[in-house]
Amino acid sequence: MPLPPRDFRAIGPKEGQRFPDVRLSDQTGTLVDLHAHRAGRPALVVFYRSAEW
Amino acid sequence: MNGIALFAVSYDSIEILSAFAATHDITYPLLSDEGSHVMRALGLINERVQEDHAAYGIQPNPRHVNLPYPGVFVLDRDGVITDKRFFESYRERETGGALLAQALGIFTDPAAPAAAAAEPVLTARAWLDSPTYVFFQRLLLTLEVSLAPGFHVYGEAAGDGLTPIAIEIDPVPGLEVGPARWPAPRRFDRPGFNDGLWVYGGVVRGTVSLTFAAAPGGGDHVLGVTLRYQACDDASCLAPASLRLRVPVREAPLVGRALPGPTAKT
Repeated sequence: MPLPPRDFRAIGPKEGQRFPDVRLSDQTGTLVDLHAHRAGRPALVVFYRSAEW
Repeated sequence: MNGIALFAVSYDSIEILSAFAATHDITYPLLSDEGSHVMRALGLINERVQEDHAAYGIQPNPRHVNLPYPGVFVLDRDGVITDKRFFESYRERETGGALLAQALGIFTDPAAPAAAAAEPVLTARAWLDSPTYVFFQRLLLTLEVSLAPGFHVYGEAAGDGLTPIAIEIDPVPGLEVGPARWPAPRRFDRPGFNDGLWVYGGVVRGTVSLTFAAAPGGGDHVLGVTLRYQACDDASCLAPASLRLRVPVREAPLVGRALPGPTAKT
C-alpha cells in the first residue's frame, strides 16, 4: 500500500535558486566542479540510488 | 546532446562508477558522493527508506541507507533551478528525452515520425521519445501540428463555441496518460471576442507523458492517438474536426536489476 505523497517542492534546493556548488570526483577520478563543468550550458543533475544494485 | 550538460550523482565509489560507465558507454560525469555527504548537505536524503521499501514489499537491506530521493534538477544557463522532478514510486522512470522536452522546451526530432496524417489545412505527426518501453517507464508522446498559412487552431482556453486543441489516447490496460502540455498560445483579436482569442499558427508541438504501469508482459501496442481541433482563418471557421494517428511501441525486456538514472547515450 503506497504511502501518502510528500511535498517534493520542500525537499532539497528550491526552484528559482541557483543550484549549490558541488565538487565531487567522477568515474575517472577527476574532481569535477559542477558549475564550472557546465560552462554556461543548461544542465540536468540526476540523483539516483546506485549503479551497483 | 543539444549543448546540455548532464550529471548523475550517487553514493557509489569511483571504482563502481568506472565499471558502470564502461559497461554502458557513459561519458558524462557520474559523480561519486561516497558516504552521501553532499546529498545530505543538499537535504536530499530519504530518512524513510526502510519504511518506504516495506510499503512496496522490498526486503530490508543494509545498503538501503543514506539514499537520496531519486530525481532530477533542471538548471538553466545561469545554473538556476527551473524544474525539479522526484519519483514517488521507486520503479517509475522518465526517459532523458522526456525531461529535456518538457522542462527545457527542446524536442527530440524523430528520424522518422512514427505516424503522420495529412489534410489541406492541417498536418500532424506523432512520435514517442523511445521505440520501446519497460514496465513502469514513462515515455513522452510528441504531437506536432503544422497549419497551412493563414489558418490557426485554438489553445486549451478556447472562446465560446470554439473547439480547443486536444489530444486523446485510446485506453490501454495499465497505461497512465498525463495532461497534454502545449506552449503558450498567442493572442488573436477578432470582432465579437473582447478578451481576444488564444491561438496557434504555423507549427506547434504538444506533449503527453505516458506511463506503462501494467505488470511486465504488457506487450507491444499500437497507440490510437486522436487530435481534436478547430481550424479557422481570418474570415471563418471550419467545423471542428479530428485526426487519428497510430503510434507503435514495443515492450523491451526488463534488465535483471533496477536501472538507475539515465541510461540513454548522449
